Amino acid sequence: MSAENAYAIETVALTKVFPDWWGRAKVVAVDGLDLQIGYNEIYGFLGPNGSGKTTTIKMILNLLRPTKGHAFVLGGMCDDPDISSRVGYLPEESYLYRYLTARETLDFYGRIFGLPREVRKERIETLLEMVGLTGMGNRPVGTFSKGMARRIGLAQALINDPDLLILDEPTAGMDPMGTRQMKDLFVELARRGKTILLCSHLLADVEDICDRIGILYGGTMQVEGAVRELLQHQDQTEIRTGRLSAAALAKIHAIAKEEGYNCDVHKPVDKLESYFINIVNQALEQKQVTSGAGAGTGITGFLAARPIVRTESLLDQLVTARVDATASKAETATKTEHVVPTPSPQTDKTLLDKLATARPAAEPKTEKIQPHQQEAPKPVETVKKDILEGLMERKNKADGRTEATQSDNDNEGRHA
Amino acid sequence: MHSLWAIARNTLSQAIRMKAAVVVVVLLVVLLPLMSVTMEGDGTLLGKLQTFVSYGLGLVSLLLCVLTIAISTFTLSNDLKRKHLYLVVTKPVRRHQIVAGKLLGILLLNIALLSVFGAIIYGLTLTMPGMIDADPAQRERAQAEFFTARSGLKVTYDEAELIKRAEQRFTDLRAADQLPRDMEQAQVLRELLAQERMVVKSCPSGRTKRWDFDGVRFKNPDDPDATIFVRYKLETAGVQPNDQVYGVWKIGDLRQLDAGVGQVKTPIYDALQDATVRTFHEFSVPADAVAEDGFLGVAFFNNPSLNNTTVILDDVEVLFHSGTFSTNYLRALVMIYIRLTFLAALGVSLTTWLSFPVAILVCLVAFFAGTASGFIAESIDGLGTTIGLVYHLTLRPLLWMIPQFDGDHNPTTYIINGRLIEWPFLSLAILVTIFVKAAVVLLLGMWIFRRREIAKAVV
Repeated sequence: MSAENAYAIETVALTKVFPDWWGRAKVVAVDGLDLQIGYNEIYGFLGPNGSGKTTTIKMILNLLRPTKGHAFVLGGMCDDPDISSRVGYLPEESYLYRYLTARETLDFYGRIFGLPREVRKERIETLLEMVGLTGMGNRPVGTFSKGMARRIGLAQALINDPDLLILDEPTAGMDPMGTRQMKDLFVELARRGKTILLCSHLLADVEDICDRIGILYGGTMQVEGAVRELLQHQDQTEIRTGRLSAAALAKIHAIAKEEGYNCDVHKPVDKLESYFINIVNQALEQKQVTSGAGAGTGITGFLAARPIVRTESLLDQLVTARVDATASKAETATKTEHVVPTPSPQTDKTLLDKLATARPAAEPKTEKIQPHQQEAPKPVETVKKDILEGLMERKNKADGRTEATQSDNDNEGRHA
Repeated sequence: MHSLWAIARNTLSQAIRMKAAVVVVVLLVVLLPLMSVTMEGDGTLLGKLQTFVSYGLGLVSLLLCVLTIAISTFTLSNDLKRKHLYLVVTKPVRRHQIVAGKLLGILLLNIALLSVFGAIIYGLTLTMPGMIDADPAQRERAQAEFFTARSGLKVTYDEAELIKRAEQRFTDLRAADQLPRDMEQAQVLRELLAQERMVVKSCPSGRTKRWDFDGVRFKNPDDPDATIFVRYKLETAGVQPNDQVYGVWKIGDLRQLDAGVGQVKTPIYDALQDATVRTFHEFSVPADAVAEDGFLGVAFFNNPSLNNTTVILDDVEVLFHSGTFSTNYLRALVMIYIRLTFLAALGVSLTTWLSFPVAILVCLVAFFAGTASGFIAESIDGLGTTIGLVYHLTLRPLLWMIPQFDGDHNPTTYIINGRLIEWPFLSLAILVTIFVKAAVVLLLGMWIFRRREIAKAVV
């Protein structure tokens, strides 16, 4: 692997200055940015409006020319068809031809990639299914809502089975279920060896799935690093248990006091995302009709797993933790106390959990969370309460990950 | 290549969904049959045919040109404005392929539309003689002058010889000190040249004027019904009653007369014609008048018993069959297609750096300039002599880039006069308009498009 090939995306002193009419520098949008995104990484690109995120992406994709510096993609430049044929891009808005139907749209981009007819046909159907637009393949994209257009936009970015995905606000305008599906999809894509540059304002999304993040402000990188390292409070300890008696709480206060700290005790709150998904799933179970997007299936088969081996990374832990934790039912949350003594050297597992979700795990003790996560990945055949997860069955079975419904059942069983 | 086709297909489906395209198609589908019924011309079958084809082809050409301008300036600018190109240029496609794909799509659409409407006009024209009640003479005339393709040989004069004569007269006049004092020398010279031009065309009363034509080659030399046509326009130096001129024409291998009256191999035909001044006239004689080596002599005798003034014969031309109506019609459609191709290339090329409204305006100006190219070239050339070098470096190349759509390049005049569009002429038009002018415009557009930024500066 050559030096310049060591990164999926690499920018060297990338600078973009927008001049005024007279050619004088007016705005420095990106200022000497050195970005290095490794293969097989999900990189979250953050920053307030106008911080230069989209400009950077456009320079990487050769939509804008850098005033200074260079942007390399997959070891080359993006205007080289050999390189761009391995890149998938979803811009900040979908920018699709309004008169083409969803199917024609995908067919058009498939043709540009020179995919043979049979391959195109197969990929289009599976992608439509994947993004939950199976029934809407023959509707013009112009009649789609923003979220549905995003889904088609994502499908077109995946039609060439890219090695690198550049996603600008991929979940903007998408319903929470769609958002959740997309996030799962991105994680799965990364598992299959793809590199993802994710640009988003939805910090929770970025936090959930990214390996590393970079925060841009005024065209320069303010901070960059692994999500966990950046967010973890090394000087605090969080403990989650079942509902404790007043006496037990008093003891904990006392113990914390012995260590010289105050203890903050509260009941954890469920994430609205999970709550919403549960409600929609109930409606799905009752087979209510909708003209909107449906639930997508996990991932389609053609998106090949590349033999780029991922070392056991933070992401893997994050993902496992998240799926377990977010699967917990709201009712279990009401039975748990949220105890946050400060500070303590004992940390990691809970903080990991906290990173992944604000919701508590069902286990009474921190130590037990980890064993639960490890036993989770066995495939199960139980009746699915949750159709969304049911639709994702293929994916979960395929990679042997936790099936969310199973952990739900477990939790219910333990706490009933 | 596949991406080129993908973009061409997409452009095609984009164009088909444009309201302008629908309007043009509906308009033509309704208007063309209606015109074939209502057009009368001068009341004769020939007049009706000529009027219909003239207006029909003219309308198809005009509407398709306007449609091509609209689509070609819309497609790329719209893709840029609505940012559809963000997705396209980030795919494995070269920038020039995008421009070429857009053009290809429009060209394919034009082939389809021109074929359909060309076929409609062709069909209506062929059925027209059967639909109306016309006498056999009218039908014969329509057959001979319209449903044919004729080549013409024109009389040419040696301009250098005329200039020499004018200069000689000028020198003589100066030597005799008879130059008009109120005129500049150049003006006198111009006047003398005009006089010489007139003299060489004139035939005084009681005299004969003869023209020799070489290379009269028929499509079917063995056809016994073949005819040749003499076409002319005349003027009189003096006043003729009713503006009528009576002439005796002799057509045939007049070299036989030079040798004195002897054995005549090919017949020499006489034709008595009374002609109104300043309008074109045509008469025909059997084709066996032409000598075997393709020579034909035409002579005009200014009969002093009927005319008492000098007759000036303009644009004397011999016409003969050299092709069929169908192939000629096809060539006319090709000429229209040449226009459409240039306009499409211009439109797409302009939108690589201009917005839609500006590009369409420039395109329309180019189109109308092309339609009036003769007039514009003449008027600006007249201006050009005074501004000299600047003009030659700036305006002239630009003017040259404007294609010619009028005069010789107007296909309808060929069809309504039953004139063959000569293949060398057509290929030259294709070469110059498509492979030079349109190509230059297109390459320029591709070059600009390759260099420009697709995304707008947004901060």
